[in-house]
Amino acid sequence: MTNPSRRPDAVPPADTAAVRAREALARKWSYLVSSVIVVALSRDELDAELGAQLDAMCAALHKEPFDPAPFEEVGERLVALGYVNEPGLRRTVDVLGKGLLALEEFSATEQHTVHVVGGIGALACGFVSARARAILDQQESMQRSLLKAAHDAQRDQRQSEAKFAGLASSSTNGILIVGLDGRVAWGNDAIGDILGHQPEPGTRLAELVAPQSIVVFRELMERVLAERDEFQRERMQLVRGDGEFSRVTLTASLLRDDDGKPSHVLAMIDDDTELALLQGELRRQSLHDVLTGLPNRQFFTTHLETVLRRADPEFGVTVFHLDLDAFGLVCNSLGGRVGDQLLQHVARRLRAVMSREQAMVARFDGDEFGIIVENTATTPDIATTMASINADLAEPIFVDDHGLAVSVSAGVVDRPSPDVDPTELLRMADLALRQAKKDQRGQWQLFHGNQDMERRRDHALAVVMPGAWEQGDIGVCYQPVRVLATGELAGVEAVLHWDLSDRCAELADQTGLILPMGEWLMRITAGQAQWWRQRGELDAQFGIRLTHHQSTDADLVSRVAKVVEETGMPHERLTLCMPVGVLGVADAAENLSTLAARGVRIALEDFGLGPRDLAWLSELPIASVCVPKDLTRRMDPRSVALIPAVHEVGVNICVDGIETAEQAAWWTQAGADLAIGAHFGSPLDAGDFLKEL
Amino acid sequence: MAEPQNWVPLGIDTNVPSMARVYDYILGGAHNFAADRQVGSQIEKLVPGLPSVARLNRRFLGRAVNFLMDQGIRQFLDIGSGIPTVANVHEVAQERDPAARIVYVDKDPVAVAHSQLMLSDNENAAIVQADMRDPEAVLSSSEVGRLLNFDEPIGLLMLLMLHWVPDEDDPQKLVATYRDALPAGSFIVMTHVAKDQIGENVGEAAEVVNRSKSADQMHMRTHAQVNALFDGFELVEPGLVGCGEWRPDGPGDIADDASMNMFLYAGVGRKD
Repeated sequence: MTNPSRRPDAVPPADTAAVRAREALARKWSYLVSSVIVVALSRDELDAELGAQLDAMCAALHKEPFDPAPFEEVGERLVALGYVNEPGLRRTVDVLGKGLLALEEFSATEQHTVHVVGGIGALACGFVSARARAILDQQESMQRSLLKAAHDAQRDQRQSEAKFAGLASSSTNGILIVGLDGRVAWGNDAIGDILGHQPEPGTRLAELVAPQSIVVFRELMERVLAERDEFQRERMQLVRGDGEFSRVTLTASLLRDDDGKPSHVLAMIDDDTELALLQGELRRQSLHDVLTGLPNRQFFTTHLETVLRRADPEFGVTVFHLDLDAFGLVCNSLGGRVGDQLLQHVARRLRAVMSREQAMVARFDGDEFGIIVENTATTPDIATTMASINADLAEPIFVDDHGLAVSVSAGVVDRPSPDVDPTELLRMADLALRQAKKDQRGQWQLFHGNQDMERRRDHALAVVMPGAWEQGDIGVCYQPVRVLATGELAGVEAVLHWDLSDRCAELADQTGLILPMGEWLMRITAGQAQWWRQRGELDAQFGIRLTHHQSTDADLVSRVAKVVEETGMPHERLTLCMPVGVLGVADAAENLSTLAARGVRIALEDFGLGPRDLAWLSELPIASVCVPKDLTRRMDPRSVALIPAVHEVGVNICVDGIETAEQAAWWTQAGADLAIGAHFGSPLDAGDFLKEL
Repeated sequence: MAEPQNWVPLGIDTNVPSMARVYDYILGGAHNFAADRQVGSQIEKLVPGLPSVARLNRRFLGRAVNFLMDQGIRQFLDIGSGIPTVANVHEVAQERDPAARIVYVDKDPVAVAHSQLMLSDNENAAIVQADMRDPEAVLSSSEVGRLLNFDEPIGLLMLLMLHWVPDEDDPQKLVATYRDALPAGSFIVMTHVAKDQIGENVGEAAEVVNRSKSADQMHMRTHAQVNALFDGFELVEPGLVGCGEWRPDGPGDIADDASMNMFLYAGVGRKD
């Protein structure tokens, strides 16, 4: 490619106004063509290049008599800049055709108009002929390249031939090169072993074929010569020197000479007994993971099937699906090579730990491993096995000076039914693994059948939930909160209601839908409360439970503020209930304090299960705590011991899920203050709720 | 006994379109054969803005190489370099520093031969014929050994390359293998056909390529998928963006049709 340069004969005009006008036109030209051409110039360089071309054209227009040759040269130079094709020419003609005549220096005479038109015609001519030459040049260079590539390939081919000769003579496969006349031209040593004698050159290949295979052989050769495919393959029998037959697979393909004309047939003969050996090796390779040498998932799955059938029914088998914790972190920080070494290490350790058991350790994908143990009377229990694996891996190994200690999490399926499908078994283990990973590192989790069913159902429900909400299938119901001792109304709790699930909020929490839906619940409740209050029908404290997601939502305070502002409900009439477990999250504690400072009453639910539960009560402005349903039902004397401690910090206690008079009496006796539950009234829609009251 | 000869087919068939030459055609070049032009014009008909996409990619290449030069990079490994046309890496880099060293890599024998002819008197640039899926062959080639110093940062370029690598070949792992070979302070420059932005026609255009005799199959990827290819590199500002939106410097860097700016994802990442 020629380098652009300023042309010596392109004299810029003397006065500065004209200089500026030309610069503006050159920039416009450059701007317009730059989005359709491919050149090696930066924006400034292109501006400068086209500026120089413009100067040359202007100089030509000023000369008498007018000579269009410089225009023609401009057309040629444009082509030389790179890929400036027809669109580039079109824009050039457009912009110069208008722009040159608009220049002050050429507006004086009619003569200039004629010259500009002639000049642009010359530019186009120069462009077109230069472009034609460029295309021919490029095509020629491609032909040259093609020729060179072919030469190079032939050189490589000669090298390949040398390699081929070496390969062919050392190959355990029989190789024959056969002329188009069907006579053997060359054979390697291995063909001699297969046939028991070395075929003489000139021997007809067909003579080596057993009579029972001759039809198959003839059809195969016909297909080869007809070039049906790259190669043809058939099983057949050949005649050995001793009169016996040997079973082989014959693969034949056509060889060509320099001009591409068929010259020979290449026949490869695999001794099928040899083939069997080879297939064994191939199978080993396809069943093992290359990096760690462990069986791969496919092998493991097949093995599962066998093991499930043969396992001692008394002890059964146990399947572990292991996953390295923070493996991604290792790879990201230390590189994939370190990761690979770590995987090899883990593979060795797992095999060592399991060596005492009848077990297979396999590598699945990435950082996942599988173990199947055929249990015996002496097999340690799952917890012990997991503990020894993690204890072993906790010993750091050194890879490139990085001491790495890892832990694994596991999903475990213990003693599955012998009839279970291996794929299904692996899915169950995977599911349990996910469950384990949800909690912490180094954990393991046993697969439970009903947990699976529930999860699938939940998943299905969560998917249809947004639609159901939009359709109005999800509504708001109200249930009374009563004073345990007297039964009088202490407040009203608003809950989401959906015919399909009684765990509406929980499901919405999983998908994040709870944020808009929870705000909606607050708005409906506050609106209803205000309506009842204004009509004098009911003036009560209204409570709403927040999920984990809502409690930590950075917008919780503003959502509440918006609802309060829109509905006019006083802050003091609203009770918001957070799960106590969420308070460890800074956002939740902050939300709680801000809301309490604005006058919202704060309650905690799921109270009484965590070690820090009591401590929160003295640290945060809590009005009441709510004992969860299962604890309520259990009526455990140990819960009772908590009650005076809660009362001491000025917080009252509400028990959730009181279903019977007996429970009510027990908790009254224990000193609880408030109660919710079927015994005191189930959730009802607004109209029915008011009637029931 | 006859010599076993001439039994290796040439492997150079101008009836089979080559993506390197199709790209040259779309860019406006004539370094191509009839089969290339046929595929090129078929897909151009489906996606009329394609020439500007090819052009934007070329412009991005120029900006990225200049950016790398600004960062002190003086050696480049351009994988999938194709037919050398206008404004190649060595032209841009050596214009600023004649001592800049460039190794091109392509698997197309004709592209390689063409590059060899073009680079014959340039002692600081060379081309390797290799498949990018064989990093060992690329990294241990004599050209790489001669021109690149792996103790100093290297600019690794993979433009319009990785969408030819199917997921089965694990492009992420391939990039990681190259990345691991590079010293800290090295850069990767990538463009990749965007899956999220495209219209139906583009899918059809990809089909034209995939149905042609060419062995290359197009695998478009989403922003997240392309982003993942930068694993282990820190994307420099403005991150992984439409090709026309990566630090544009002038009108030629952006397409007239805005949607064409987003046709390719482009990004530059630094290995720390």
